[in-house]
Amino acid sequence: MNKLHAAVGAGTLALGALIVAGATQIRSDAGYGGVGPNFLPWVVGLALLACGALLVREAARGGFRLMEEPSGAESGHWPGFLWVSAGILCTAGLITRIGFVLSCGLCFMLAVRGFKSAQGLQDRSPVSWLRDLLIGMAIAAPVYWMFGKLLAISLPGLTATGWI
Amino acid sequence: MDTWNALMQGFATAATPVNLLWALLGCTIGTAVGVLPGIGPATAVAMLLPITLKVDPTASMIFFAGIYYGAMYGGSTTSILMNTPGEAGSMVTAMEGNRMAKSGRAGAALATAAIGSFVAGTIATVGVTLLAPWVAENAVKLGPPEYFLLMVLAFCTVSAVLGKSTLRGLTALFVGLALGLVGLDQISGQARYTFETPELMDGLEVVLIAVGLFAVAETLYAVLYEGRVVETQNRMSRVHMTRAEWKRSWPAWLRATAIGFPFGTVPAGGSEIPTFLSYATEKKLSPHKDEFGTTGAIEGVAGPEAANNAAITATLIPLLTLGIPTSNTTAILLGAFQNYGINPGPQLFDANAALVWALIASLYIGNVMLLVLNLPLVGLWVKLLRIPKAPLYAGILIFATVGVYGMRQSAFDLVLLYAIGLLGLVMRRFDFPTAPVVVGMILGPLAEAQMRNALSIGEGKWSVFLERPGSLALLAVIAGVVFLPRLLRLRRKLRRSP
Repeated sequence: MNKLHAAVGAGTLALGALIVAGATQIRSDAGYGGVGPNFLPWVVGLALLACGALLVREAARGGFRLMEEPSGAESGHWPGFLWVSAGILCTAGLITRIGFVLSCGLCFMLAVRGFKSAQGLQDRSPVSWLRDLLIGMAIAAPVYWMFGKLLAISLPGLTATGWI
Repeated sequence: MDTWNALMQGFATAATPVNLLWALLGCTIGTAVGVLPGIGPATAVAMLLPITLKVDPTASMIFFAGIYYGAMYGGSTTSILMNTPGEAGSMVTAMEGNRMAKSGRAGAALATAAIGSFVAGTIATVGVTLLAPWVAENAVKLGPPEYFLLMVLAFCTVSAVLGKSTLRGLTALFVGLALGLVGLDQISGQARYTFETPELMDGLEVVLIAVGLFAVAETLYAVLYEGRVVETQNRMSRVHMTRAEWKRSWPAWLRATAIGFPFGTVPAGGSEIPTFLSYATEKKLSPHKDEFGTTGAIEGVAGPEAANNAAITATLIPLLTLGIPTSNTTAILLGAFQNYGINPGPQLFDANAALVWALIASLYIGNVMLLVLNLPLVGLWVKLLRIPKAPLYAGILIFATVGVYGMRQSAFDLVLLYAIGLLGLVMRRFDFPTAPVVVGMILGPLAEAQMRNALSIGEGKWSVFLERPGSLALLAVIAGVVFLPRLLRLRRKLRRSP
């Protein structure tokens, strides 16, 4: 029994169940075709349930078959993962409030923390935090200007000037 | 003669200064993303999809094609110089290329890869020029049942035939189809899986799925598992081939083009099979068998690299003439066309002739640009390999944010991006292929519409798929593709144990 593999199979089963549950909510005005908008959802949902069941069976018999050994370390470095996740989710939460450039700078800073900690090179001095924030803003700012001034796609800014 | 005139017209469009600049920009960005680990052509095109909101279709398709091509050239540089293989297509190049680099012949390997890519790319583009209009002309006769089965064929090959485990391939495909279900049904306009969230009414953006599955997942994977992996780089040498090396490379390039091109044209995409086939062929035919796997044989780099480029170029035929993508990147290119309200298919060669021919002409131009960008300037690209991991991946996240947010200006999409990134992380760790997800998501809604149209034609009877000679033949092909490899394996097993 490979627990991780079984969990992946269970996840597939859950997704299949969700799709099937959704399929029961869709009306089936088939028209001339004989199959309506609920047909493919049923097929996909049932197929996912079947795939999930087979994945769980493979897991129970010692793990997925024909697996390529995943590259990298045996177990994950979760603190680094949390830093990077925080970076992405902070951007999602703050982009409309503090603007694109600043939130991307923040995301860059947090992600760099994550990678540094994964590499065992954590540098906690405030100077390095500030430096990474500025580097991130320096990468994001030209992109922001290019989108705003050249393509006229307005990304959110801290001010209404279009420069930051 | 018609084709010739159309192509010349295409050159006239593609060679305007503005379009040349787009091509150059595309090739440059493409080479850079090919060289850099962590992003491939699919991600790069996806991140830049927001430009379709403003830039005219011809310019942006030329730009995207440049990225698509450039990444193939750049990818070989990384696979020869670094000891970590990049994407699937250049894995074979890495085997011999690495050995050559270790024995001090990195320059020759880089040269044969770049020139081989140019030769194969150009011959394959000639193939596209001649073959695509003919396919388009004949594809007009296909009806919904045939289209649906062609799409099913693409689904089968991308999930069940390529890759190691059919079960994991199929799981990935159905996850992709499930993602494609979200939004309004194309025919009845009914909302499906929107959970009363207005953001989900328009469906999920291709950008979001592609960038999440590739860029975000790759970043999360790198920080979780590869923090302590130290990459080593092989020493560069002068980019130059001796007369003997030229003589050994030529036939390999041509043979590989002949192998790669057909694989790209049928909806059975992927460049893994042709590159491996070409490698095996070269190894068998080479008079220098002792060099394979030891000091590195130049044929082992020349062949697979050329096969890769020929196959990649040929995938444009099913994309442009049938609207069927067979790889991650062509799936996203299809998304780009859809953003303009253009549906690739046989009508494309009539309705958007100027665009198509400018795109094809730009492939010729792009190949020349890339040869120049990659041979004399290779030293410049190698410098990119020195960017440390932390700022590289953190920078990728910034571009991921721009691509996804720029498309719809919705912060909700950024949260979804993270969720898709987590999905990609799990898939990467447990060896699920990603191409079926992207192809399933993009092609799923189209296949569903074709299926329902086909059933309407058949007045609700499934026998419509059996009654038409075209669709019956396709059904046979699908059955062959799915069952033949299994039967062959079974036979081999039975023979071995009498």
